Amino acid sequence: MTSTIILEQTFNGLQAGVTLFLVAAGLTLILGIMDFVFLAHGAQVMIGAYFAAAITAASGNFYLGILLAIPLTFASGYVLEFLVIRHLYRRDHMEQVLATFGLILFFNELIRIGFGPAALYSDLPPSLSGFVEILPDTPYPAYRLGVIGVGLACALAIHLFVSRTRIGAMVRAGANNPEMTAALGVNIRILFRLIFAAGACFAGVAGMLLGPLTAVQPGMGEPLLILSLVVIIIGGIGSVRGAFIAAIIVGLADTLGRVFLPGLLRLVFDQATADGAGPALASMLVYILMAVVLIFRPTGLFPAKG
Amino acid sequence: MLEINWGVKMKKIMVAAVVLAAIGVGVYLLINEQKKEVVRVGYMTTLSGGAGIIGKQMQNAVQLALEHKGGRLGGMEAEVIFVDDQRKPDVATQLANRLVKSDRVDVVAGIIWSNVLMAVIKPITRSDTLLIGSNAGPSPIAGEQCHENFFSMSWQNDQTPEAMGKHMQDAGVKSVYLMAPNYQAGKDMLSGFKRYFKGEIAGEVYTKLGQSDFQAELSSLRAAAPETTMVFQPGGMGINFVKQWKQSGLDQVSKLYQVFSVDAVSLPALKDAALGILGTQSWSPDLDNDINRKFVADYKTKHGNYPSFYAAQAYDTILAIDHAIATSGSKDTDQMRAVLAKGNIPTTRGLLKMNSNHFPVQNFYLRDTVKDADGVVTTKVLSTVFADHADSYAANCKF
Amino acid sequence: MGGLSSVIKLACDGMRDNRLLWALIAGFALFPIYTHFADLPFWNDVAMRIMLLGMAAMGLNLVLGYGGMVSFGHAAFVGIGAYCVAISQVYGISNGWLHLAFAIVACGVAGLVIGYLALRTSGIYFIMITLAFAQMLFFLFVSLEAYGGDDGMSIDRAEFGIIDLYAPLRLYFLIWACLAIVAMVLMFIVRSRFGVTLRAVKSNASRVEAMGLSPLRFKITGYVISAVICGIAGGLFASWQEYVSPDIMHWTRSGELMIIIILGGLGTLAGPLLGAIAFLLLEEFLPVLLGSLAPAYAENWMILFGPLLIMVVLFGRGGLSGMIGRWYAARNAAGKGADRR
Repeated sequence: MTSTIILEQTFNGLQAGVTLFLVAAGLTLILGIMDFVFLAHGAQVMIGAYFAAAITAASGNFYLGILLAIPLTFASGYVLEFLVIRHLYRRDHMEQVLATFGLILFFNELIRIGFGPAALYSDLPPSLSGFVEILPDTPYPAYRLGVIGVGLACALAIHLFVSRTRIGAMVRAGANNPEMTAALGVNIRILFRLIFAAGACFAGVAGMLLGPLTAVQPGMGEPLLILSLVVIIIGGIGSVRGAFIAAIIVGLADTLGRVFLPGLLRLVFDQATADGAGPALASMLVYILMAVVLIFRPTGLFPAKG
Repeated sequence: MLEINWGVKMKKIMVAAVVLAAIGVGVYLLINEQKKEVVRVGYMTTLSGGAGIIGKQMQNAVQLALEHKGGRLGGMEAEVIFVDDQRKPDVATQLANRLVKSDRVDVVAGIIWSNVLMAVIKPITRSDTLLIGSNAGPSPIAGEQCHENFFSMSWQNDQTPEAMGKHMQDAGVKSVYLMAPNYQAGKDMLSGFKRYFKGEIAGEVYTKLGQSDFQAELSSLRAAAPETTMVFQPGGMGINFVKQWKQSGLDQVSKLYQVFSVDAVSLPALKDAALGILGTQSWSPDLDNDINRKFVADYKTKHGNYPSFYAAQAYDTILAIDHAIATSGSKDTDQMRAVLAKGNIPTTRGLLKMNSNHFPVQNFYLRDTVKDADGVVTTKVLSTVFADHADSYAANCKF
Repeated sequence: MGGLSSVIKLACDGMRDNRLLWALIAGFALFPIYTHFADLPFWNDVAMRIMLLGMAAMGLNLVLGYGGMVSFGHAAFVGIGAYCVAISQVYGISNGWLHLAFAIVACGVAGLVIGYLALRTSGIYFIMITLAFAQMLFFLFVSLEAYGGDDGMSIDRAEFGIIDLYAPLRLYFLIWACLAIVAMVLMFIVRSRFGVTLRAVKSNASRVEAMGLSPLRFKITGYVISAVICGIAGGLFASWQEYVSPDIMHWTRSGELMIIIILGGLGTLAGPLLGAIAFLLLEEFLPVLLGSLAPAYAENWMILFGPLLIMVVLFGRGGLSGMIGRWYAARNAAGKGADRR
């Protein structure tokens, strides 16, 4: 196990982590501020990916696809909140779970009817199809470096926005104590709608970035949803900083675990057991991590509510 | 006053009784309406949900076959009832019961997934109805748990990777890096491969089922720098894997072989990214016989893209039912079984032979991924790896 | 004797107060008569599946509806029950009573462990940790190649002594008997001091604590009981399907149980059973409905199901049993009004 392979896998883990963060950021705010279990967040990833892939296919330009897909995804989140979500804030968690589960079914079928059940064709933009040598003899896909860059930029932007602007202050106040924030005269309805739309937008950006790498198909967001729920639980609900740190941890743990766990097991057990247990353990790793965190810190690592 | 109340209540009871009676009569009529001399086929696939595209192709193929046969199977008027198992074994069990007990079908056919097949085979075969599989071929059904009422028109799961193993062994490949998802089919594929490939296994990696990002595994692969790589990543996983393989420039490092990862379902999403990847399969759109040529041409005209092997097998299933009824002269289960067991069924793969465990004995071909005359990416046969290959479990099957 | 007669009185009171539940159960007992005369044997299978789903949903309802714990882990208990039957058969044990015993013990232990670990959290954290445990168990069984992995295992129906489960309707009435017993037990629990305290914990845990009781202990006990009920349903399910696979313990199946409960009415005894009926009928008829309205889109029937769920959440106060209760009450009020004329 050389240092180059470890470095390369660390980059992979980082890339997985920032993608997770883009999805988790919106989710942690929605859950923390509106106390709303939004299971259909994965559908937002799918919607963003489809907007981008469709526009890219129609125009032939990847960057145009992303540029136009961002406001479209923001708008879709805005409309969804106005039409459906705001009626569900007062319901208890289970009802929110079921209603948003219904939304998942609805969006998946809508996409399936509109674009067909087969995956859409999508590929890397020619300008980012090359490689960058992060170390001598270690070519790393330029596009994935780009994803890391965009993810970090978004994280920085959210951090600055939340900590340096007035709206950001309202968001922080809302995460800490929604009732008091409303009592202080903040237009909570519009604030919620904007937060929701922004969350949808970031999730959509994750989808847009993943589009060229993976299959753009109905239900593509669900695996990310589960993982990002794990992330925000570990990070602490309502905390964007917690989401970022937890996303990086989970991304690294999942990536490095998948790659190195079978090998590590082989040091202790015989080949057959290690080969059988390794992948199973690797898939469970993230859940075990979450369970352990919850047992010692029942409200996550950096909970927003003091 | 008492009279008025009694009257109202009596009316309500009468209305309820009439409604119930009407329902009862209607149901009775519905059941009995179906007693004409018609061949009824219950076709089970997954039409909704993520894998619905596969079921859709199979449904298209079945309908095309019926068209080609003028709506008659073996000379009798045919009716196909499509049911959607939603990829859930318990839904499938209920549907199987319905097809057999309520719709009283003469044959049940289809079934994409191994776990669904394992769930429904008992209720169906127990009712003395034939079950003709269009895709799934788990080893228990080919071996110890075989049943004489089951026929496969596809293959046994291990055969396709066995062919790949043989090809790579014969081609002098020294070492191979294996990758498959961590589930039963994945493990079966790799063990089938290793049955015939005797070279060095440079790595055997099991990925997460449903995984969409393989960058981590591909980085490890690059570090291992194996001579060749053989993968089994069906469905969306295949699309993701092949895309990321090409994007990582791994063609420079290792030669990629695949089973069930590149086919007419995934090619429209991959396009040029899949060019040059070799694989093995028992069918290809360019197989040269009349039935196949007509099937592929008409499918392309009607649906705008190449049919996949799922579609070809579904098409063959209908041909098999037609052959069984035409040759035996009846839709009686015992007579159809006797005909099918003899084999020599005209299909898109030529005259298909049957093994003693009711799985086909057929050729397996090496296929390349190329562009056709219209620039559409498809697969093409390069050579025959196995001629008349039988599966490895037939000896364990005793009816 | 005094004890027995008071138990019987409690039972009769309970049945009178829960007429809908016992009407449904009686209906299931009489249903095979109808299917026999209407020559619809397939609908017995549907009824069996409804009863099994209803049983599992009743188990979950104890903690979900009455205890307020949103657990995504209960499908795992159904799965454990099913695998107890299957794994026993691998080792040559075909006695149904032993299977039942194994399922009860296994689910009791699993419920205790998971409940103890998970119930230290609450709210969304509890939801997620139960989901995590369900996923872990799912991946565990997928990796157990010896027991079929994700391809599952074909098994035989259990042997319950002289009762041959392959003879017509024997399995049906075995399931029915278990359902009736579970319903009776739940009815007693809900009306008992334990049940009242559990409901109090749901609405105001600190007050319960102030009374000197431990909310956690009540929650865990309820969790274990519900796990055992789900396990029994799972074991019977394995016999019905003659097949087990890890699919039955995927967390989305817990979601299905929740849909059933909310369709039928949260926190009522009849709700889960009513919801199971509605759910399976929807599963049968929505595709048919969409198929007749728009044949090209028949397989996209979930586009109707999704909004339907949302509607039920938004507008269906108390689910189906709530609606039936209100209709019944309105009819009674109207009747009384008419009498006074």
